[in-house]
Amino acid sequence: MYKNIENVRNIGISAHIDSGKTTLTERVLYLTKRIHRIHEVRGKDGVGATMDSMALEKERGITIASAATYCEWANTEINIIDTPGHVDFTIEVERALRVLDGAVLVLCAVGGVQSQSITVDQQMKRYNVPCIAFINKCDRSGADPFRVIGQLKEKLGHNAIALQIPIGLEAEHKGLVDLISMKALYFEGEFGDTVREDAIPESIAETARQRREELIDAASMFSDELTELALEDEQIPAELLVQAIRTGALKRELTPVFMGSAYKNKGIQPLLDGVNYYLPSPVDVENEALDIENAETPIKLSCRTEAPLAALAFKLEDGKYGQLTYIRVYQGELKKGDTAVNVRTGQKVKFGRVVRMHADQMEEIGRIPAGYIGAFFGIDCVSGDSFTSEGKKLSMTSMYIPKPVISLAIQPEDIKSETNMAKALNRFTKEDPTFTTTMNEETGDTLISGMGELHLEVYLERMRREYNANISVGEPRVAYRETVTRQSDFNYIHKKQTGGAGQFGRVAGFMEPTTEEEFIFENKISGGVIPTQYVPACEKGFRECMAKGRAFKYPVTGIKITINDGSSHAVDSSEMAFKAAARGAFLQAYSKAGPVLLEPVMKVVVETPTEYQGTVMGTLTQRRGIIVGSQDEGAQSILEAQVPLAEMFGYTTILRSLTQGKAQFTMEFYAYKQVPKSIAEEIAQKNEKAAKTGT
Amino acid sequence: MLTKSMIIRDPLKLLGLEADEALQDGGCGAILARAGVGKTALLVQLAINSLLQEEAVLHISLKDPVDKVDLWYKEVFQNITRIHDINAANQLWDEILPYRFIMTFESSVFSLDRLMKKVEELRSQAIFHPKSIMIDGFSLPDATTSELETLKAFARDSGMTVWFTIRGHRGDAQTPDAFATEFASQYNDFFNVILQLSPDKDQIQVKPLRTETTAQPPLFLDPATLLIREKRV
Repeated sequence: MYKNIENVRNIGISAHIDSGKTTLTERVLYLTKRIHRIHEVRGKDGVGATMDSMALEKERGITIASAATYCEWANTEINIIDTPGHVDFTIEVERALRVLDGAVLVLCAVGGVQSQSITVDQQMKRYNVPCIAFINKCDRSGADPFRVIGQLKEKLGHNAIALQIPIGLEAEHKGLVDLISMKALYFEGEFGDTVREDAIPESIAETARQRREELIDAASMFSDELTELALEDEQIPAELLVQAIRTGALKRELTPVFMGSAYKNKGIQPLLDGVNYYLPSPVDVENEALDIENAETPIKLSCRTEAPLAALAFKLEDGKYGQLTYIRVYQGELKKGDTAVNVRTGQKVKFGRVVRMHADQMEEIGRIPAGYIGAFFGIDCVSGDSFTSEGKKLSMTSMYIPKPVISLAIQPEDIKSETNMAKALNRFTKEDPTFTTTMNEETGDTLISGMGELHLEVYLERMRREYNANISVGEPRVAYRETVTRQSDFNYIHKKQTGGAGQFGRVAGFMEPTTEEEFIFENKISGGVIPTQYVPACEKGFRECMAKGRAFKYPVTGIKITINDGSSHAVDSSEMAFKAAARGAFLQAYSKAGPVLLEPVMKVVVETPTEYQGTVMGTLTQRRGIIVGSQDEGAQSILEAQVPLAEMFGYTTILRSLTQGKAQFTMEFYAYKQVPKSIAEEIAQKNEKAAKTGT
Repeated sequence: MLTKSMIIRDPLKLLGLEADEALQDGGCGAILARAGVGKTALLVQLAINSLLQEEAVLHISLKDPVDKVDLWYKEVFQNITRIHDINAANQLWDEILPYRFIMTFESSVFSLDRLMKKVEELRSQAIFHPKSIMIDGFSLPDATTSELETLKAFARDSGMTVWFTIRGHRGDAQTPDAFATEFASQYNDFFNVILQLSPDKDQIQVKPLRTETTAQPPLFLDPATLLIREKRV
């Protein structure tokens, strides 16, 4: 069942929303004989794409959760993770890229490099994932793959090079010219099953020749032999060209570009060949783990099954057989019945059922060797946990996890719903680290927090459908923060010396704003005026005050505390006394340090027909947005703005109605920025009123 | 507000040009050099100077995407704040950002007429009121004399100034000075200020060509920061 590890590819398919990732995956599964019939994302047959197994995904026509699957092409096993395109589900993309060795970046031949393509590209860079590009929808009106290649270069900085040129575009899109074999490829049969090779049509022969020259030029940077042959104008063997492109692609210095139309079944087979040729196998990728017992020294992992186990759980799902954990094995082998250690908890675990997933179906496999992705059942763990052989403490590097920016207060409508809601929240928070829940102690409401409106909406819908929980939902709340704007001194004495055991502690120093971290504590005490054993209590006292600011009652961020003086009492000083003194000192300095309210500001990108550009700009400026720029591409324009999240609720509906549904937007967290004074006052008044009425 | 309290060296004053005198409403300026010498850097420096005076700048780019233009601004701004030892640079950046608008066009769809329509749209809908327009990457020979005159009149009526970057081709048979002289005579009526960036050994000299300025020592672009400086490094 298992291939030679060099014949394995672990890849992700990433792109902007609606670029056709799931449609492409459906074709890949069909052509590799994993499925026997193609179902469209929003197909008339109502079945939905194979990878969109969740009822909600089929209904909305979007991919919410990553679904893992595998297939075989030309004696190579390809494990695929289909990832969501919407920014709100970006953690799914992050997780997928962390465990994958290569990626296919799908771009729309009309839309080109869109906002989410840029986010995905940054994620690929962060995890150093080599990629190939597939320019989809060449059959659409306005398709221009070479404009998209230009954008790949300009906007993403890729050294992108076409490996194909289209034979006709838009409605005339008939096939492709392979610039390596210099043959025309036509895709025949109901689902493009048969690839017919033919001579290049006369009309594009010269273009093909020029593009091949460009390809050879770009590839020759990675092969001296190829350079020599090119300079001497000699015949270039296809294998040599492929090898040079592969070398460039694996170093992320060259991005091979394929094209076609997944919907019209054109260009899929060459793309699969491209995955085999130009994306790395697990042995081509260098992976590291941190040796916990050796001061977290990074150590290289080898892709050998005989080595000790090192594996990373990257996704959890709660299925009918209990918790299903997706895992990537980097080193060693994970076998049914074997024991391993969860590095985070130190607990020994025994693997029960070990399976391989194909969307929502599974296949028992018994073992997952190094380099493969699989899943197991019945072990309690969280996403991001590392598993190693007993006696080894190797932790895979942690994944970047963005912080939630939006909250909703929710309440169960009856007792049964309360139990079900608790179950659902427990599962969702384990599966998704960007989704958190907290309890509002004052109102008793449960607050759910996430990356955007759609993110929370999807979880609410899942609670209703999958857990039968009737939930009432409050207004969305923005995760405001407080900070200070200037330096301010403190000198506070905490003293209680009337009867019983006394308390005494004096803390002096200053508070100042910082952008480096959320909280920095610096101890500049000299001469033991605050005994060393009480300094941690001081830090704790200050840190505790960060949880709720005095000015607006929101968490405080960006503060540096320096203590440089103080005094103690031989009998009455204690940790408790210094903690209380630190709290007093914080409050004393805070009100003088110019506290301000911060709000999350989102990077909003709107793609709109140019005729609506002015209208859309108006909607953004009305929302306190700053328009960073606009990109005029003729009929279509792209606007980029920075807009406070608090002003963006319900924007989807407004944008749709103003542009007859022709414009779309994405947004993602950009930065915390100061709220204008008048608005901050309004918020403070509102909070005060709410506190009084207890809502 | 930090912007009003900012005292930095005005690049035009360094050149002996009092900005108000050199470019009145409807005034046009050109930065002339071959590729890769620092036209965009100087253009952005002039733009940031306006932003610091709380004057709105519309930056038009026909060659770079919005993100790349934004990066130019960030880099030049960082260099200015570092050289002038300005604290609270982040706060200052947040203050000037609303005064800047970057507009990029695919060169195939750009025309001066289209630009004027866009500006008019921004102004009439009270979205943005530019005081200066910086146009980077436009090929001047693509515009007719009448189009240029219309632009100048539009700028005058709207209370704006316009700057262009002009590329003299690398490897032209013509010397840079000959190109500059010919350019200055050809567009004598259109440009009020022409600045030529001229590589001089390992330095880049900034030469005002068009305007009569008070005698000034030669100015240079700092090769590290690409900001105007008064002497060679």
